Amino acid sequence: MDLVKCINVNKSFGNKQILKNVNLTIPRGKIIGLLGKNGTGKTTLIKLINDLLTISSGEILINGEKIGINSKKIISYLPERTYLDKSMTIDQVIEYFQDFYDNFDTKKARKLLKDLSLDTTLKLAKMSKGMQEKVQLVLVMSRKADLYILDEPLGGVDPATRDYILDTILTNFNDGASVIISTHLIADIERILDEVIFIDNGQIILQSDTDLLRTKENSSIDDIFRRMFKC
Amino acid sequence: MLKKLLKYDLKNIYKFLIIFYSLAIFFAVLTRIFLSIEDSFIMNIIGQICSGVTISMMINILVNNLLRLWVRFKENLYKDESYLTHTLPIEKSTLYASKVLTSLISLFISVCIIGLTLFIAYYSKENLETLKNLILPVVNIYNTSVLKIVLIFLFIFFIEFVNTLQAGFTGIILGHKMNNAKTGYSVLFGFVTYMVIQIFGLLVIFIVSLFNKDLMNLFVTNEIINLEMLKVIIYLSIAIYFVTFVAGYIINLNLLKKGVDVD
Repeated sequence: MDLVKCINVNKSFGNKQILKNVNLTIPRGKIIGLLGKNGTGKTTLIKLINDLLTISSGEILINGEKIGINSKKIISYLPERTYLDKSMTIDQVIEYFQDFYDNFDTKKARKLLKDLSLDTTLKLAKMSKGMQEKVQLVLVMSRKADLYILDEPLGGVDPATRDYILDTILTNFNDGASVIISTHLIADIERILDEVIFIDNGQIILQSDTDLLRTKENSSIDDIFRRMFKC
Repeated sequence: MLKKLLKYDLKNIYKFLIIFYSLAIFFAVLTRIFLSIEDSFIMNIIGQICSGVTISMMINILVNNLLRLWVRFKENLYKDESYLTHTLPIEKSTLYASKVLTSLISLFISVCIIGLTLFIAYYSKENLETLKNLILPVVNIYNTSVLKIVLIFLFIFFIEFVNTLQAGFTGIILGHKMNNAKTGYSVLFGFVTYMVIQIFGLLVIFIVSLFNKDLMNLFVTNEIINLEMLKVIIYLSIAIYFVTFVAGYIINLNLLKKGVDVD
């Protein structure tokens, strides 16, 4: 059974259609890049999978079931924004995740936070935005999930931080789980991707194995992307 | 899960409310101290100032409580924090139940604190006598004690506030179903919901008055209504507010279950 299956998914805001007949399957045990220019529907699709938006028409199945408690138990989601209550300390946020997610590994989270040399009694509001994002990444990757969805995890960060983020993702995701990484910074993540999905103007225009695509086109994913999305 | 959600919702709301509770009680104590010093003009002036501050603190508790609950609801369900809230493995009904229970608990405690503040600042045998004389006619028709009447009025005040609060929740939910000007629509829908509740209340009282001539006087004359009718109105108010609260709860829950479109 596919981990995620999108069947004729459409999403509109008023008269503006953002996603058009999206049909998509996400297999297990793969790192998948959801690639597209800004404003092409990547985040909308991710928000639909995470129950943050309502589908205009179509269906999304997670593990063969409609989106609900069971899907939320197995999806670990990192949004593109800081979403934690900033008045909480890191310790309190860890307690929060521990309270609500059965698959949250507290020891792992504490170890990863220790590696960042963070004072866990510090309030999130007292931390820089970059540091808050790292804390979020640590929390998300400390869940033993079946699917990790990371929306623009590399957006607006320096190269050193990018390396830290990619390293954290690669070394911490659950065995057998899939990872969806949405980004337009392809060169940075190309090396870790097993599959790519190109999205443009609300439609899936390509889904392929990265090695096959590179061989077929005889160029890097980044070059293929640049060619396909040339303005 | 409800218990856990409730823990975080209450913690969040009480982070601030506890400060206003403390301030209200602090100024109530000062009011009592300064107003009890006799034969001192300056102390009396300070006492009056403290009394004014105490009253404004009591109003502040209610307004602040109401606004914080609305803001928390919006932040938690539609703003940045909603990205965490809606991805928790929790039913929408549990989420909403937690918000409503937090509202009920915090408003109930706020009303109690206001009662305590009033007691600390103004309780005296003379004031109690004045209060008794004021509500004695009502006490007589109910054949009950002054305390019970005060509690009934406080209860009506409480459920009125709870309904106002839930009308705000309805406004926020409906407002965020719009594609633009969500805050503006939230305020508009909240106000409309509140007005609908009040009109429904009036309508029910009017329908009942069709079968009760004394009650009809409320609508057709300027005369002071029969005190017996006050009893009917109080019972009707409690019933109406209870029905609108349950109806509002069901409507809001169903709207939430249809899904959200977070910003």
